[in-house]
Amino acid sequence: MQVLLEKLTKKFGDVVAVDAIDLRVSSGEFVALLGPSGCGKTTTLLMVAGIYRPTDGAIRFGERRVEHLLPKERGIGMVFQSYALYPHLTVAENISFPLEVGRKVSRGERDRRVREAAALVHVDALLARRPGQISGGQQQRVALARALVKRPDILLLDEPLSNLDARLRHEMRGEIKRLQKEIGITSIFVTHDQLEALTMADRVAVMRDGRVEAYATPAELYARPANRFVAEFVGTPPMNFFTAELRPRNGSLVAHAEGIDLELAAAPREGGGATSVTVGVRPEDLTIVPPNAGEARGEVYVVEPMGREQVVSVQLGGGMLQVITPPGVAAHVGDQVGLRASPGRVHLFDTTSGTRLN
Amino acid sequence: MAALDIPSSPGRGIRPLRFTPYVVLALASVPIFVLYAWLVYSSFFPSVHGFTPVGAFTIDNWRFLWDPASFPQMRNRPPIIPLTINTFLFAAATALIVLLVSSMAGYAFSRLRFPGRRPFLASVLLLHSFPSVTLLIALFVVLRSLGLYDRLVGVILVKAAFELPFGIWIMKGFFDTIPWDLEMSALVDGAGRLRTWWRVMLPLVKPGLLALGLLSFVQGWNEFLLPFVFMPSGSQQTLSTLVRGLLGEGRFVDYGLLTAVGLFYVAPVLLIFIVAQKQLMHIYAGGVKG
Repeated sequence: MQVLLEKLTKKFGDVVAVDAIDLRVSSGEFVALLGPSGCGKTTTLLMVAGIYRPTDGAIRFGERRVEHLLPKERGIGMVFQSYALYPHLTVAENISFPLEVGRKVSRGERDRRVREAAALVHVDALLARRPGQISGGQQQRVALARALVKRPDILLLDEPLSNLDARLRHEMRGEIKRLQKEIGITSIFVTHDQLEALTMADRVAVMRDGRVEAYATPAELYARPANRFVAEFVGTPPMNFFTAELRPRNGSLVAHAEGIDLELAAAPREGGGATSVTVGVRPEDLTIVPPNAGEARGEVYVVEPMGREQVVSVQLGGGMLQVITPPGVAAHVGDQVGLRASPGRVHLFDTTSGTRLN
Repeated sequence: MAALDIPSSPGRGIRPLRFTPYVVLALASVPIFVLYAWLVYSSFFPSVHGFTPVGAFTIDNWRFLWDPASFPQMRNRPPIIPLTINTFLFAAATALIVLLVSSMAGYAFSRLRFPGRRPFLASVLLLHSFPSVTLLIALFVVLRSLGLYDRLVGVILVKAAFELPFGIWIMKGFFDTIPWDLEMSALVDGAGRLRTWWRVMLPLVKPGLLALGLLSFVQGWNEFLLPFVFMPSGSQQTLSTLVRGLLGEGRFVDYGLLTAVGLFYVAPVLLIFIVAQKQLMHIYAGGVKG
């Protein structure tokens, strides 16, 4: 079922938590709301769930406006960050709770569906336990089963992985993604972890200060971030930025900063007159070359081997650029090195507004 | 070897300071303990001079249980069994009302944002600090006009009302400790407020309910003033009024009988405290937030 947010606004007193956002989630799509804490992503989710009443704007599920409906009338399932399992009920009772209180479902049908939902997330062996007696990962699975047991139209997940350790997080990331596609349920999840958003979602809405800064597929978001905030927020290690002056040379443009002369593949789309821009280059789009071969030159500041790759920080001019290199590339602290940027992988942003210029 | 010079474990050694608190507390408790001991043994001896029992061990003083007529003081009083039942009814009904109202009001104060919530909370606290004596006349008028004067129901209602402020605050504190997520989850799962309260919240504050229930029961069991004033006629009296009657009537007091009845009266309370110490402690674990 399609979810449509129109000029959705939430104020707490004078504080605007969500500021007239528009968002369309297509039927069967998996969308992430990504942003730093306090950006309004959870508030948005809780409005969709029906727990917060919007100050203004509309929420549509399909054709139906739902902002006046109670949570139970909206046909949603939700997984909370803390999982919010009922500690005094067994796993089976937890999963069957929505069926028990919600619709008229016969006991036999209820038991059948509880087992079905439990099997879907592989907790069918734990039905008699209580939440306190199972692991965090298992609790998460039970929470998923409870959210799905009433066969909702929409699944909402609030920071579903943040309470898990790294290994389990990786495992559940894949599992939730597979499950979502398998059931084909329209889903929205909230996260502050850009890696989770990129790996799991079909589309990611990056939020800041109650607004949607960008709404695109993970690939687009990564390759062509709409503004500097998005460029900085998405990707680890983060994109390198430096302020540069645009100078013409041999019929093309060169971004010049101390120690850098970067030839641009194309002129900025707008602001042709602008001479000062913010240049962004991702660490993996830089390569280390001999000192005089590249477009920039600096000194190796630190080398961080990460097994599959290594992160080399190079100091040049007043700034630092991070470069991801294969582990074989020899770089030692203090070495003079040159840097080369992959053509066409250079991002230009307006220095004051942060909007993308190319 | 040098290693042997090191004490094996610092905790093992005898350290006089460690026992100091126990010694101080034990000394402070001696008078209380002596009083209870006196209560117990004087109920099993014909008489007691100061702290010394006189005569041989006897259960004569406990005759009030099976032969009350042999005591002149007991003759024009209701029999002990109905009195005990009355007292039990009074305490149990008080506890039930306190539990029901406190668990609902505490939930509302903890979770709902309604106009006047804070002033209401503050005034509940004010009521708690109101000495009940000052309200006796007003309560008499109210009970009379409602036709509840000299009836157990009336006194139960009054006693429950006096206990409610404490109960409401305690239960609010317990509800405050339950994460909001659980409640949101119940709402999303399709439960209404009432069902969320009953199926999700109440089971989670069970320790609080248990402790509050026991305390209210004990408060009701121990109450003297209200039954004494508002239930003057004999048939509705409670044990506390009987004990008081034995003390205040006639020229001499039969201390053997008095202590036996007194022990009979406090025994359930002592039993509750011994059995349920742990549960009662939860009251202090619940915490109270504004």
